[in-house]
Amino acid sequence: MIIAAVIVLGVAVVLFGARLVIGPSLADRVVALNGIIIAGMVLIAVDAMVAERGSFLPVLVVLAVVGFVGTAMIARFLEGRGQ
Amino acid sequence: MTMTASVLSRDSIGQVGLLAGSLLILLASIGVLRFPDALTRMHALAKASTAGVAVALLGVAVTVSQINDVMSLLFATALQAATNPVASTLLTRAVYYAEGVTTELAAVDELAADVAAQPTDERSAP
Repeated sequence: MIIAAVIVLGVAVVLFGARLVIGPSLADRVVALNGIIIAGMVLIAVDAMVAERGSFLPVLVVLAVVGFVGTAMIARFLEGRGQ
Repeated sequence: MTMTASVLSRDSIGQVGLLAGSLLILLASIGVLRFPDALTRMHALAKASTAGVAVALLGVAVTVSQINDVMSLLFATALQAATNPVASTLLTRAVYYAEGVTTELAAVDELAADVAAQPTDERSAP
């Protein structure tokens, strides 16, 4: 069941990557990158579950904060550029 | 009672949660790839992936045994559930101001009234 979850997450990363490549505007690419960050967070959690070793779990907290700050910064940038 | 305890062990509950969360993230990615508009793509990502990452990380948190790991997972889940809708709303407002929204059906645009009501230099100030 863990292998199925990893395969599902890999397919999700590929679909997000397709939107990251073909996305016509900057906001689409930001959305796709946010999805890739979320799938990577779940993959880090899967690694901690399989290896019985939680050394990388604080990375999840850092990724959540950095993803939010990056998205908010790009939103400010877009909002200023659109005027 | 012992048989249900052996069937519903901690590992199997955690793996079911992990698979359910992964499927929700896959649904989010399909929506992001197939929806026609930037706002609808953001709609797909915000709801489905927030629910998916919460379910998956809680499933892993059921499985692991160290209290440090459990608290890291719970804190990451709470942080993601708190910040992901806010980030999506900020990006949606940015798209609204930058590109505009095409209203095809009889849509209600409440932000347009707010934008028309407030002075323009307040909105464009950094």
